Amino acid sequence: MYSRFYLSVLLISGLLVLAYLGFTAYDSFMPEWMSYQFEYRDYLTKNAKDDAAKKLARALPLEFTQVYLGEMNKVDRCTNCHMGVENPLMENTRLPYKKHSGNYLVNHPVDKFGCTVCHEGQGSATNTKEAHGKGHDTHWDTPILPLAYVQSSCAQCHDTNMLSKSGGDKVAKGEALFMEKGCKGCHKLKGVGGDLGKPLDKVGRQPIAYFTMKHIVGEHTVFNWLKQHFDDPRAIAPDSAMKVKLGEGEADLLTTYMLTLRPDEKPKSYRRINFNEPPVQNGETLYKSYCSACHGDGKKSLYDEVFKRTVPAIMNPSLLKVMDDTNLDKILKEGRTGTQMTAWKKTAAGLTDEQIKEIVTYMAANRPADRPEPFRLAEFKGDLSHGKEVYDLRCAVCHGTNGKGGEDMLGVSLRSKVVQKMIDPEVLAITVRDGRADTPMPAFGSDPFGMSKQDIADVVAYIKDFQSGGGK
Amino acid sequence: MKKLKYMVTAVVSVFLLSAGIHSELRAENKGQVNKGEQIYNTRCMVCHGKKGDGEGPAGVLKKEEAGGRVLEIRPRDFTLGLYRFRTTATGCLPTDEDLTTTIYNGIPRSFMPPLKEMHFDDKVAVMEYIKTFSSRFKDDPPCNPIAIKKPNWVGSEASVNKGKVIYKDMKCWECHGDTGKGDGSKSNEIKDDWGFQILPFNFQTGELKKGSSPENIYMTFTSGLDGTGMPSYEDTLKEDDRWHLVSYTLKLMGKLDKGKKVH
Amino acid sequence: MNETDQTGLSKFAGNVKGLANTFIGSVFRNGKPTSDKTRASAVFNNFFLHIQGVKTHINTLRPSYTLGLGLITFFLLVIVVASGVFLMVYYNPSVENAYQSVKNINQVVFAGKVSRNVHKWAGEGMIVFLFLHMARVFFTGSYKAGREFNWVVGIVLLVLTFALNLSGYLLPWDQLSYWALVIVANIMQSPKELTDSLGLTKYFDVGTYTGNLFLGGSIPTKESLNRVYLFHVMVLPMVIYVVVGLHFWRIRKDGGMTKPDLFNTKASDMGIMVQPKKSGGIFPTHKTYGLMELARGKTPAVDKDVENTVMSWPNLLIAELAVLMFTLAGTLIYSYYMDAPLKEFANPLIPENPAKAPWYFLGLQELLSYSAFMGGTGLPGLALLGLALIPYLDREQDNVGVWFTSKMGKRIALESMVISIIVIIAMLAFAVNFGWLRNWFPEIPQLVITFVNPGTIWVGFMMLWSLCTIRRTGSTRMGAMALFVMFLVSYLILTYFATDMRGPNWDFYWSKSQWPIH
Repeated sequence: MYSRFYLSVLLISGLLVLAYLGFTAYDSFMPEWMSYQFEYRDYLTKNAKDDAAKKLARALPLEFTQVYLGEMNKVDRCTNCHMGVENPLMENTRLPYKKHSGNYLVNHPVDKFGCTVCHEGQGSATNTKEAHGKGHDTHWDTPILPLAYVQSSCAQCHDTNMLSKSGGDKVAKGEALFMEKGCKGCHKLKGVGGDLGKPLDKVGRQPIAYFTMKHIVGEHTVFNWLKQHFDDPRAIAPDSAMKVKLGEGEADLLTTYMLTLRPDEKPKSYRRINFNEPPVQNGETLYKSYCSACHGDGKKSLYDEVFKRTVPAIMNPSLLKVMDDTNLDKILKEGRTGTQMTAWKKTAAGLTDEQIKEIVTYMAANRPADRPEPFRLAEFKGDLSHGKEVYDLRCAVCHGTNGKGGEDMLGVSLRSKVVQKMIDPEVLAITVRDGRADTPMPAFGSDPFGMSKQDIADVVAYIKDFQSGGGK
Repeated sequence: MKKLKYMVTAVVSVFLLSAGIHSELRAENKGQVNKGEQIYNTRCMVCHGKKGDGEGPAGVLKKEEAGGRVLEIRPRDFTLGLYRFRTTATGCLPTDEDLTTTIYNGIPRSFMPPLKEMHFDDKVAVMEYIKTFSSRFKDDPPCNPIAIKKPNWVGSEASVNKGKVIYKDMKCWECHGDTGKGDGSKSNEIKDDWGFQILPFNFQTGELKKGSSPENIYMTFTSGLDGTGMPSYEDTLKEDDRWHLVSYTLKLMGKLDKGKKVH
Repeated sequence: MNETDQTGLSKFAGNVKGLANTFIGSVFRNGKPTSDKTRASAVFNNFFLHIQGVKTHINTLRPSYTLGLGLITFFLLVIVVASGVFLMVYYNPSVENAYQSVKNINQVVFAGKVSRNVHKWAGEGMIVFLFLHMARVFFTGSYKAGREFNWVVGIVLLVLTFALNLSGYLLPWDQLSYWALVIVANIMQSPKELTDSLGLTKYFDVGTYTGNLFLGGSIPTKESLNRVYLFHVMVLPMVIYVVVGLHFWRIRKDGGMTKPDLFNTKASDMGIMVQPKKSGGIFPTHKTYGLMELARGKTPAVDKDVENTVMSWPNLLIAELAVLMFTLAGTLIYSYYMDAPLKEFANPLIPENPAKAPWYFLGLQELLSYSAFMGGTGLPGLALLGLALIPYLDREQDNVGVWFTSKMGKRIALESMVISIIVIIAMLAFAVNFGWLRNWFPEIPQLVITFVNPGTIWVGFMMLWSLCTIRRTGSTRMGAMALFVMFLVSYLILTYFATDMRGPNWDFYWSKSQWPIH
């Protein structure tokens, strides 16, 4: 009885072992790529022009191949399935043995470049799912790049000048867009840029786990994250303060450009970068790169729902009229503490003094020729308590009773370092008197308010008293 | 005889008394308007203008939404007597309470500040003064406020789904967009009664100007927002359907997700 | 000449003809066994087989008695070693190449993926079957006097198996390994908590020392990989071979398998193939054994019921072969369908959230989340010590070889199981819902938490319950039973709880599917 039990266990288990050893062997002898190689050989044989070609095709060895790229320490086994990438006969066939489109492979032969250097994916893998690296369960950080973004790989070896002319226009356009849309107003790249957003160095090659994928529709990949985040930042990261206004297709271009920002450097023998003169940065382009994202054209002030404060009109003629270059220069360098305005000096956001000067010069081009009528504040003695009365009556509704401005307030903060320390009280008095055109700040010196000069002097004294602790 | 005398005295005294009260009332009203003007000129005039025409010294206010749309906010022009935030039927004047409520709560997202610290009498005074800008308050008969009773199924899943169908059928999406982002196909073509372009509400930006309670939203559907593109659905939708639409609106505003655990 | 030539050639031809037979004959010193004598010599003349007795008690052959668990564990070890040698050919133990070499094993090595799976699952299977085997030995009372030391050897094997599994877990150098390495390093460093709270770290920093011993530094580096690899393929296997040999040898020397005293089944009832014949048996009745008179003390007992033993060849050998084949089939089928995990390349900058130790240490990690010292050093040390001491503290010899000893034993085991399930779940629910001392008294000294936390309270409860059982039943065996059942139940529940219900940041979730996506 027991013997029979043991014998039957032995028999059944033995058969199972044999069967599964067989399955394992079969799987190893007939991997997925083998069937593609059969199909490829059949196709070649069927479409051979003459007998010699037919014979040649029949003799085609079915074998495991790989491209080893020693300098990059990479192994690409893609050509086991994609056998016809370099075969002109395979022009009009189907994937995976279709010929590579365009003439890219003329200058980038597979045996020197492999495939994943441009297309990403897991080169060493030998089945479709893992090779393309799609899906969370492949645990692969660089899945195969969709064709829309594949140009981003060109930038590893080629410079923008060259790319804009031949076949890499998306990278060039993306880079131009990046400068024009003012991304660096908030994001640092190579040490230069604002600090409201995350630095963008290496962002194109960050591991997937670096990104919050919770709200991503579709596959959780870096390029999907970038694209969808450009489309609607707050849909992907609800707390994001990112401002984007992109036209049709621009998100794709920017995503392509982002993907070119990567930490690894290709070996020298692969790189074809000509170090041309860096593009000229004049005041206007600098303003666009670093200021325009928040200030737009700078002509009109605007309450920003994300920043929760009013963004001032910095190129408004009536502002420039009262503000001289030294003041502007100071504000650009030091920023406005307590607001989103970055300090742009070399040691903070990384602009050189010359660049800041360029920007100031560009802004000052809008300054009207006539100087404002002087107020002569020094001739008045400010009365703090009357100043407070006037302030509460006229100013508090927009600047807040504490002068901080901020959320749901039209006025800017009057407690900032700029107002308190950098600007001459005379400028404040003139602003209160004349108002600021194209902004909600009215001229209090004229109808219908008709504040007297003494009233204005009192209010300015009251505002200036904030820094010594007044007006709490 | 004596009885008659008493009666005459009574009638006369009642008459005199009422006349006295009436004149006193008028005087009080006059006084209130003066007081209201004073407050108006210090607190409201900067935006709404001295004449109440909405063209104050501050001008048109600009605001950029999170989504990137730039809204132009024009302070209310009181001279036409058209008010959006009412509890009365469309075309009607607002009740006094509607006006004081707006003054008290302010209007979210529009820089109209809440005046919660202001004395009640002062608000009434301002309200009385504002009413003097339009002749409608003298000429038109006042309307009765619409009664509301919120059913307890508002916000339930079934109700949200019904609301979704109504949202589709009533073409709300033409202006407000499929997901309530205010980006519908016609969203760029809407003008208000003054001829300025206005943008439909994006449900995801924040509080409704009228207030975001279910009752407020229901009232918006019922009374309409006069002067804008938002019509009244009092006659075209049944009361229950309007409540279903309230549920769906709350869903689009994300007010129904609060209970779920958000990491 | 011619004739001799011919004879020479024909001799040679004859040798060639008989080559197979002579070769086999030279390997196996006995021919095909035909009698009990030759069957006996087939066993004790064979290097590999002589570890078994020539005769086997039929109780040993009863599948419901041993369940083949120890043997399965041993065969799993054999499978692990075989597949491990195969993997070693392709694996490259350097930080740069380890990951890709494992990928290559999966991707291009012939049958590499299945081999790796077999290695992985057979290794983890060893832990499962080791626990089952331990439970079998415990519940049948087979650790009792005479076999105490072999029980201790078994505990050593448990520790070695853990160490082997763990060191192997770290070799692929993927995210899973890396962060498990970090967690395990934390476990190794856990004495630091105690020295910290006692203020002794300055003088005697044993935590950092043990941590460094394991990692070769404060963070996982190529040094860690080197020493872990060395341990995995050399030191630990060599130690485990010796200890396994010792374990087997002691089985024989301690008197073979236990069996119930009142064993009254006859071999004939059990359908054993070959009956020992009295006339041709190896213990002829007319002979005495002088050798036995030389031996004193605890000699290998020639059992009283000799009539219930059968020849090991072929009875025992067939059973063993069946278990081997069964183990092989199970491992192979499981490995054919379940792939061993391999995540992204290790990245020190991106912590896995939650970073988890291998599953067999997750119970410890749960305890670790209450107190580092207790979870990492105190409680596991106590548990191992307690396990090892069981045979010395419980020396009752009644009913050895009977599952659960008696009816009362069954009742006590069941009772302890129910009680421990209730108490431990209540404890976890309490800790999850209300937090622990630190949440209520933020200023409390760490020392208090080290000694008063759900882990220590649970262990205290276990001990108390066991003492109560001894008092109640008047039997140390019952106390040991209660303690052991509670140990198994808590290991099981804590492991399950920490595997499935602890999500990112070690927060509680009802199941893995509720974990937030990042």
